[in-house]
Amino acid sequence: MTAVAPRSGASVQTSKRTEILEARPVNLDGFVEEWPEKGLVAMESDYDPQPSVRVEDGRIVELDGRTRDQFDFMDTFIADHAIDVDTCEDAMATPSVEIARMLVDPRTSRADVVALGRGLTPAKILDVVKLMNVVEIMMGIQKTRSRRTPANQAHSTSAKDNPIQVAADAAEAAVRGFAELETTLGVVRYAPLVAIGLQVGGQVGRGGVLTQCALEEATELDLGMRGITAYAETISIYGTESVFVDGDDTPWSKAFLASAYASRGIKMRFTSGTGSEVQMGNAEGRSMLYLEIRCILMAKGAGVQGLQNGSISCIGVPGAVPGGIRAVAAENLVASWMDLECASGNDQSFSHSAMRRTSRLLPQMLPGTDFVCSGYSGVPNKDNMFAGSNLDTEDYDDWNVIQRDMQVDGGLRHVREDVILQVRNKAARAMQALFAELDLPAITDEEVEAATYADSSDDYPDRDALADLEGARSVMDRGITGLDLVKILERTGFGDVAENYLNVLRQRVSGDLLQTAAVLTGDFVPLAAINDANDYAGPGTGYRLSGERWEELKKLRHVTSAENPEEEVV
Amino acid sequence: MTSTELTPADYPLSINRPELLHTPTGKALADITMDAVVSGEVTNEDLRVTPDTLVLQGRIAESVGRRQLGENCRRAAEMTAIPDDEVLAMYNALRPRASSAAQLEEIASRLENTFSAPTCAGLVREAAEVYAARNLLAEED
Repeated sequence: MTAVAPRSGASVQTSKRTEILEARPVNLDGFVEEWPEKGLVAMESDYDPQPSVRVEDGRIVELDGRTRDQFDFMDTFIADHAIDVDTCEDAMATPSVEIARMLVDPRTSRADVVALGRGLTPAKILDVVKLMNVVEIMMGIQKTRSRRTPANQAHSTSAKDNPIQVAADAAEAAVRGFAELETTLGVVRYAPLVAIGLQVGGQVGRGGVLTQCALEEATELDLGMRGITAYAETISIYGTESVFVDGDDTPWSKAFLASAYASRGIKMRFTSGTGSEVQMGNAEGRSMLYLEIRCILMAKGAGVQGLQNGSISCIGVPGAVPGGIRAVAAENLVASWMDLECASGNDQSFSHSAMRRTSRLLPQMLPGTDFVCSGYSGVPNKDNMFAGSNLDTEDYDDWNVIQRDMQVDGGLRHVREDVILQVRNKAARAMQALFAELDLPAITDEEVEAATYADSSDDYPDRDALADLEGARSVMDRGITGLDLVKILERTGFGDVAENYLNVLRQRVSGDLLQTAAVLTGDFVPLAAINDANDYAGPGTGYRLSGERWEELKKLRHVTSAENPEEEVV
Repeated sequence: MTSTELTPADYPLSINRPELLHTPTGKALADITMDAVVSGEVTNEDLRVTPDTLVLQGRIAESVGRRQLGENCRRAAEMTAIPDDEVLAMYNALRPRASSAAQLEEIASRLENTFSAPTCAGLVREAAEVYAARNLLAEED
């Protein structure tokens, strides 16, 4: 968002204080009045439909004021796939205030409120969450998020699409604690090399990290089928029929694609978010949250295990209107309540104000979500090819301090410099060996050295981009698979990395990562909302930051020794 | 195999029920070792999920109340038989105004008859019906 020129004329004298306030970064952010007729409204609009449902002969024939002959394709898909026909009339008869209280009250179990949710229509769900303030929404997220243990996701990208940089930053991100890593490209044809960098670097940092490369659907699936990536996320869905069609998809094409991924044993989640429809110019006069709830139910109906939501790349839109960030928290709540894995946003540059960036983050970080960021920029924002993130590498220490201050697990930890340098160096050397064996343009010792100590893409020697692109093409033409990379790593002295990578590939045989909110521990134990189901039931229950993990999070870059105030704890 | 009773306690199958798992070429999960990879005994073809495994995962999903995820696993089990290129071609054919009613019916028949994929065929037929009502079919040739 760009700010417009301030209104004050030159002739009007302003106070010194006003001058200071005018200069504050928050005043570079964009704010706009609501315009409900066009859908430029977060979650409270007179133009949203009233909740209703009617079942005839085992089929929903009326949904939120429309009869079946008036249904658009979202209504049809939601009515036929998402909503539980047997329970919907009873569920809809439950007063909204009762349901909102169930979401907050720890004495109502997650299972009960999830079961009730299966019978609700989009307008009813909106009616419920409209009753909740932001603290109540966080209470709801704490109870309804599907996995017990929170986690986090990082971006590892490069403004120069430098695969060595992506590998080194992936290794650092993995050792810092991220469970998933995502990359994308400036020049799409670089994808195979960058995706290899992400995968190999990730497995150097911490075995079992899952990686993905955001591309158009067909290429993304291709890289997944070859075993170069482990999961997919950028499968976009929209809340109005017109925008969905503009995106060249339908709920049926996306449901088919969801099954295609699962049929290859590849984890996948959809992506949606408030503001996308109004940004794409056809919100059909509905509020952002109402349309997002339709997306959430469409995803549930398709049987995909999870959803990335929380406005995502459209955060400037809800961020500009009153109550917008409350609506973003509410969409994360609804995704969790609908029993989907929720990768909860905090992933796009949002504000010029550090204070506002932090406040936008707390509704996900404090209650914990399946992935607090989706993702956190594991590179400086100027190298972030997803147009920047709400958090980047400069914020690592702040994040760790906030975790320690609040005794909250945001998925990261402080890591000693020597460990970070070691994994960055090893990731770069592993890439050097792979490139040599694959006859790709050589990675020099100078580049390995640069990767070890670098911050951004500026700190690396430039590569011959044309030669790299030729190499990337040959990787695809030769049909290089993940298994080929495993073999090379094994024979070039990176046996532990090869073993980690092979262990990730083995997961697709078991299909364990297809279950809701599945991630892998460092010991390759799949952790999903089955064997690690959220059991929050009020104070003293659920995930508590304690024991070894809490000891780990007490460590920071600088902590003074209690015994000797002249020393720092290492 | 198809009658195996599963509960949430069986998850993760790779750890709790590895005896139920096999690769498309009939190897056990424990056979996927680095030695076997290096010797070429294990190939990329082994690193795929089987329809049986997808059915098992679908059953686990249903045992914890995730009906739609279970259905997705069933569709996926059917799709394991379809070659990669054709899966992508079918996906593209389901995009708005990409196919006529007859073309979608052809895909549905192929799913049903060639690939024994009745659940997937049902999804395509359902799409054809909705696309007809919403003006999302391609013009007939």
